[in-house]
Amino acid sequence: MIRLVTLSEFPPDVIDFIARRVHAAYGMGCEFEGEGEMPSGALDEEQSAYNAVKVVEEIDDDVALYADDKILYLTREPLTAPEGPMGRGPVDGYAQYGGGKAVITSHGLGEKGLPPLEVGLAKRAAHYVGHLWDLHHCFDPRCAMHPGWSPGFAAYPDVALCLFDREKSERKIKLGST
Amino acid sequence: MASKQPQEPVIGDGSLHVGDRVVYPNQGICRITGVSVKQIAGRDWEVVTLRREEDGATVMVPRGKVMGIGLRKVADIDAIDKVFDLLAAPGNDPQLDWKIRHRENADLMSGGGLFGTVAVLKSLHALSRVRPLPQKERELYDNARHLLVGEIAAAMNIPLHVAEDNLDYALWPPPGMKRKGQVLPPATLGPPAPVVRAAEEEIGLEEDEEEAAPPPPVAAEEEEEEGEEKAAPAPPPHAPKAETPRAKAKPARHPRPAPHPAKKAKPAAKKPAAKKAPPKKAPKKKAAAKKAAAKKTKGKR
Repeated sequence: MIRLVTLSEFPPDVIDFIARRVHAAYGMGCEFEGEGEMPSGALDEEQSAYNAVKVVEEIDDDVALYADDKILYLTREPLTAPEGPMGRGPVDGYAQYGGGKAVITSHGLGEKGLPPLEVGLAKRAAHYVGHLWDLHHCFDPRCAMHPGWSPGFAAYPDVALCLFDREKSERKIKLGST
Repeated sequence: MASKQPQEPVIGDGSLHVGDRVVYPNQGICRITGVSVKQIAGRDWEVVTLRREEDGATVMVPRGKVMGIGLRKVADIDAIDKVFDLLAAPGNDPQLDWKIRHRENADLMSGGGLFGTVAVLKSLHALSRVRPLPQKERELYDNARHLLVGEIAAAMNIPLHVAEDNLDYALWPPPGMKRKGQVLPPATLGPPAPVVRAAEEEIGLEEDEEEAAPPPPVAAEEEEEEGEEKAAPAPPPHAPKAETPRAKAKPARHPRPAPHPAKKAKPAAKKPAAKKAPPKKAPKKKAAAKKAAAKKTKGKR
């Protein structure tokens, strides 16, 4: 089961849209679990964005996870990630690879060159749930696992996995303990 | 008499020690947990025991084969820095002969070390932008990516997700991304240069096309017009965009040569009928002849 937890306010129809799209992409149940709060300790040094890694690690919620359940946190706040060898790049979420928790942001969606809120957020949700199932980035621009900053994200707003990723995720889900 | 200190077992060429984090090309990042003797098929084998970090699984490798399988220490930060230099550098044209490519990639993955994995990833990435990757190479691409992401994360002590994002900042640079002060050309949708496509057509890829996986959606329009239905990209569950090029292509074809399809269709329809007809009649005749012969014999009796 994939559980959605909102850390900001989202219209119910947007949540419903995301749940349906994620369910269609992975064939797993996806439901709205409740609301939570962004951990204040996750704010970065400039206090302008939240450190996505800290958000996932420090969040305090009552959501109970059973076996292979996944939690996806949704926020409107801008996110950052620790600086890597390429410096800082665009960050639209963070997922624990093969783990249980991920966070995504709707920040920037609806602006020029990016898809509208519900479509973009659903695609990001499918992308980060894919990481939770150990999927890597895909070169196919139509696949939900394609990097979110590339032009393919806006050009193909449909939430779909390529054949390879779909089969891989199905294998992983079948091997799961639930 | 001085007490002897327990000697540390020599693993591989001596550079590996118990407790080291290593890269096992087929398994990912592991930690050496020890050397022990296992009895397998009635024979004692000295095996190096590894613990896979990803899921905690135990992997055992015969001590004599440690170097042969490409087991090596996790790279240091300087090597990772060079990896990103390589990833961010403009790539060469991909090898289009799949036999050569397969052999090269297999060698690089097993014995090429860190930079071999980078070379495989980069070449397959470049190829994926020109034409679809066959299933086996798609798996190889995923394996190379998995190994590299794991090694970058282990070497730099950063989460796997951050490592993969950084890897793709180099392969698919977002606008404004810089590497050592130089702005990288931002990623584009579709093949990087049409020159590569022309070269591909000249060389001919008949052998390759047999095992070709779905074409990259990027180059879809031209290929789909050729009617390669087999190579249609992994059909996304709800992909109106993917269908639009076909929908557009059809009206473009039909209005122009309206009479031709009808003319061509007739002989195509006749031929199979003409071919099928004789075999059907022949058995009937034979059967009738047999019946007649049987009647005659009966009559004679």
